[in-house]
Amino acid sequence: MPLSGVRVIDLTDERGIYGAKLLADLGADVVRPEPPEGDPLRQRGPLTATDKAAQTSLWHAFFASNRRFFTLDLDTASGREQLDQLLLRADIVLTCDNAFAVKEADLAKRSAQRPELIVIDVSSFGTSGPWKNYLAPDLIAGALAGAAATTGDIDTPPLKGFGELNFMVSGAYVAIAALAALAKVRKDGQGQRAEISVHECIASCLEHVLMFYWYAETMQRPEGKVLPRRGALHWSDAYAVMPAQNGSVMVTPAPDFDTQLMWLIEEGVQEDLIDPKYQEPENLRLRVERSMQILRAWAAGKDARELFLQAQERHCPYGWVLPLEAVAENPQLAARDWYRKLTINDQTITAPGAAYHFSNTENEIELPLSPHTAAATDAAAILSDLGWSAS
Amino acid sequence: MSNDNRPLTGLRVLDFTHVLAGPFATRILADMGADVVKINSAQRAVGTQDPKHPYYLMWNRNKRALALNLTTDEGKTVARELCLQADVVIDNFSAGVLDRWGIGYQAIHEHNPQAIYVQMSGMGDGGPWSKFVTYAPTIHALAGLTHTTGVSGREDIGIGFSYNDHQAGLHGAVAVLAALEQRNRTGIGHRVDISQFEVGVNFLGPSLLDYFANGATARPVGNDLPYDAAAPHGCYPCKGGNPNPDKIPGLGERWIAIACMTDTQWSALKTVMNHPQWAAHTELDSVKGRMAHKQTLEQQLSSWTQDQDAYELMARCQAAGVPAGVVQDGADLLERDPQLAGAEFARPMDDVHPELGPTWIDALPIHFTKTPCNEYHRVRAIGEDNAAILQDWLNMSAAEVAKNQTDGVLE
Repeated sequence: MPLSGVRVIDLTDERGIYGAKLLADLGADVVRPEPPEGDPLRQRGPLTATDKAAQTSLWHAFFASNRRFFTLDLDTASGREQLDQLLLRADIVLTCDNAFAVKEADLAKRSAQRPELIVIDVSSFGTSGPWKNYLAPDLIAGALAGAAATTGDIDTPPLKGFGELNFMVSGAYVAIAALAALAKVRKDGQGQRAEISVHECIASCLEHVLMFYWYAETMQRPEGKVLPRRGALHWSDAYAVMPAQNGSVMVTPAPDFDTQLMWLIEEGVQEDLIDPKYQEPENLRLRVERSMQILRAWAAGKDARELFLQAQERHCPYGWVLPLEAVAENPQLAARDWYRKLTINDQTITAPGAAYHFSNTENEIELPLSPHTAAATDAAAILSDLGWSAS
Repeated sequence: MSNDNRPLTGLRVLDFTHVLAGPFATRILADMGADVVKINSAQRAVGTQDPKHPYYLMWNRNKRALALNLTTDEGKTVARELCLQADVVIDNFSAGVLDRWGIGYQAIHEHNPQAIYVQMSGMGDGGPWSKFVTYAPTIHALAGLTHTTGVSGREDIGIGFSYNDHQAGLHGAVAVLAALEQRNRTGIGHRVDISQFEVGVNFLGPSLLDYFANGATARPVGNDLPYDAAAPHGCYPCKGGNPNPDKIPGLGERWIAIACMTDTQWSALKTVMNHPQWAAHTELDSVKGRMAHKQTLEQQLSSWTQDQDAYELMARCQAAGVPAGVVQDGADLLERDPQLAGAEFARPMDDVHPELGPTWIDALPIHFTKTPCNEYHRVRAIGEDNAAILQDWLNMSAAEVAKNQTDGVLE
């Protein structure tokens, strides 16, 4: 596997755990210690419903995939010794401020002792500034960093993305930081620490938001420098979710308006779009507005699935708005064998696949999904099994 | 570019990407020191491929520009020679385009077994939808992100920006770096097939597990948590902010997000509110009780917040231990946000664009302690670095470059 042999200690919470997952799913040997009372993230829903007495967090099963877990009692000498053993042999330590064992790990000392060590530190707002101690679960993080202001409609409040979308951005940056630092270690043996602020991560992934502000003159928007939330309508005004028969479709005449126009002409619903005035560059906005108006009326009479497939046949980037159960049964994912099997408490269920397909000239590299387990208490045995123990 | 100590200095990346996802992946590599050669051509430089388009300016800094006319055999030959010298070849065309040009993974691997190929197509290489055309809104719709992000009964909201493009870019960078580690260990450059669709579906991982394990189907929950109980947990109106003389819907509004994740935080919020009578019900002391009376809670809280200044209220809540944050827009991020200002996250680029004047940086949010990545070079014009790149990568003489230029290969 791509990261076979890379030893990672995962001391993250929600803000960084997706980064640890990315490394683990690519084959790194990722150990996630837990306090004796259990990882609080094992309480996050959804839970398995089959066995009420021993419900398992499916949230945890997803985000803590491919890990080795064990209980670490830092109030005991043996617990501290086990943490020591881990830190003596790790290539990478991923931390979030205030997460379990981060303080006890004393990573400043470790980094001084082991110059090849990589430490990635995640905080909500960085280590200085007036907001450095602000509490920011995903909703707050997305609000302050600009994501919520773009999402929702005029008749709804600003909205957060479903689930953990903000923290999955900071998580992805964690994996990048760790692997870039590893590339540096492979080059010259020099490890280092890197700081990541969730706030900056989210703000760096807002597409049009900063662009509109900086290049407002070029964008020529009636709104000025800030585009308010307005449903699924894209910043270009040329992408919108429209109701159709039996569902909705993300409809767009972009990027090739002429292809779309030809389709409307074929069906005799082009109305006045063939007027040469719409071809004038200064009338682009008018053309977009009129096209979307006509498309909305046209789409309303079409079957959603058929409209989507016909559009794609014509290389128009329409998207069928699928509910989760349709995503679960999606033919493209099935054809690519994307879903995998995950064992949880002896029950095997279908699970999301990896975001990558690695291959060489002969084979695809298998990225397996190991069973999800409870935290073991025999830490010494696990350390020995991993080859991480002092003995 | 310059001889520096950044983590990826010396890494040669041949960049055939366009629009956002691919260019964002390579921007991250370039920010960390890689020599990213961005292929463009006069023919393709329209819309978001135009180096003066804001979209292009946002995601193509720190790269060198090579113009290559890939409709000519000579252009394809130069591309092949560059692939033979590359550490990484990356594209986000539909699957198969590089193969058709004779520079796909199989063709190059035989001669340059260390070359890593990352292909970031919309649907991945293979499957009945592999040729489908996708932009982020397409992926959001197909991956279930549009359906789940919104409020009950609405399918037409979804995420208000191209979230999945950024995430595909981040995952593309992870793929390159993981393949580098793999090459370091095995000596072999691998091919990575990334489907932007699969990247997007992955974000609903816990909900998919819930579907497969329990048969549950996720539905939009507004600002609630989909599976865990927390209340209050939402966005509430505050006193109006910026002027909105044209009365454009949504502009000028102020909102604050408040998220009581624990009973203790609720108790602290009551103190901030000065213990109003409506909040005194003992039933509300537990999250179960607050969830049961969520509608009343939301109404009362909105009445309380609506006449207050959002930033002041946020400071009071946070001082009391209540998670709260102003719903900031782009202007807030760039004009008012003390954290982003302190980190110098956003700033004009020192390397001024000769035609456009100042362009802007949103800095890499990874702060390496020993090898800071703080070099930013402006976006280059089509073919601006032709001679330097061909000299560096292919040892091509000035005369050869000039001939290729005259022959229309480098345009």
